[in-house]
Amino acid sequence: MILANLYNKVLGFFRQTEKEAEESSKDTARNRLRVVLMQDRTNLTPELMERMRKELVELLSKYVEMDKEALELNLEQDGEQVALMLSIPVIRAKDEDEIKAALEADEKEEESSEDEEDEEEETETGSEDDEDLDDNSEDKDNSEEKSEDSDEVKDSDKKE
Amino acid sequence: MSGRVIVITSGKGGVGKTTTNANIGTALARAGKKVVMIDTDLGLRNLDLLLGLENRIVYTIVDVVEERCKLKQALVKDKKNPNLCLLAAAQTRDKSAVTEEQLKDICEKLKKDFDFILVDCPAGIEQGFQNAVAGASEAIVVTTPEMSAVRDADRIIGLLEAKEEIKSYKLLLNRVRPNLIKSNDMMSVDDVVEILSADLIGIIPEDTGIITSTNKGEPIVNDEKSLAGKAYNNVARRIIGEDVPFLNLEEPQGVMAKIKKFFSGLTGKEK
Repeated sequence: MILANLYNKVLGFFRQTEKEAEESSKDTARNRLRVVLMQDRTNLTPELMERMRKELVELLSKYVEMDKEALELNLEQDGEQVALMLSIPVIRAKDEDEIKAALEADEKEEESSEDEEDEEEETETGSEDDEDLDDNSEDKDNSEEKSEDSDEVKDSDKKE
Repeated sequence: MSGRVIVITSGKGGVGKTTTNANIGTALARAGKKVVMIDTDLGLRNLDLLLGLENRIVYTIVDVVEERCKLKQALVKDKKNPNLCLLAAAQTRDKSAVTEEQLKDICEKLKKDFDFILVDCPAGIEQGFQNAVAGASEAIVVTTPEMSAVRDADRIIGLLEAKEEIKSYKLLLNRVRPNLIKSNDMMSVDDVVEILSADLIGIIPEDTGIITSTNKGEPIVNDEKSLAGKAYNNVARRIIGEDVPFLNLEEPQGVMAKIKKFFSGLTGKEK
């Protein structure tokens, strides 16, 4: 009985130390591995990811006031599909005037008729919850790209 | 006869490629198949040691390539199993002593006389890997549930997918420790399979018996009681085409584990 007691004490000790580590160790490994494999597979280095993150902060700040440090940009794998996951903690939805001001400042630099459409969409989403904001800001991302594309086209036209 | 050429590779060293090769080869031979194993790890040969054949090697693969002997002369027969042969690597040469074409040619010739040609690949993704893969149409990627091994396996899988000659590849998860998985200190089989999204051909538990079997130069599949031996035997049966379920590694094995279970059962502390 004494032996059994001792055994249990020893066992209990090991269990305790095991439990302290158990939350993280395996999950940490899996998550770190996922990230590093994504980088290996996509050729997106941590530097490039950081650059992409900064550019997104800059872009999205026009529409919402967010926690710039906490914006998370991750590559994730869903089966065969690789996805870019963007998580933006929104501090406050900007009001109409602020967004307009930000966009107008932008327009001075680059003339684009599509920016007005963006503006309208944005005021609609202002009242909705954060997740929707995220989604929409990703949409914005796309439309921004489109407008940039069209700018390029215009530029080349001018050159010709 | 037209044998199947299977390369056993991993990227990372030390995950158990050579052990896997020796055991699958022995298991296939025990199942009545004619098997030849080719050690392509020139300069760092070890397959001979695991099979206990180190003192019987007269000619190596380099001797064959450089025509100092006939291919058949260089094949070393296993001590126990006449179905099993080894074509050893040269210990004094480097990877450049044999070319991809030459290995392909050797595999083609061996296909006529053997059911299975198992190619033991060196670690790394350089020329040694390219040579080993050259003659193969199937691959077994050996990995362990450790980050570095899984990452390297992912790299190897990428390289294998780019090779037209490789028609299929399977994952073999080695050195699995069910206790660590249970306590969430090791990635589970499912985790690794999901991350690599590859088909599994075997799960081999960590087994101290591997050390003693290596000491003796006797593959562990010859030990009927060993769990790792059983697991390797199952891999061989799956290669042949049998539908064998994966071993349940969850149940603690061995006397100590049973005592542990008994005691922890008493106190209800068992997780």
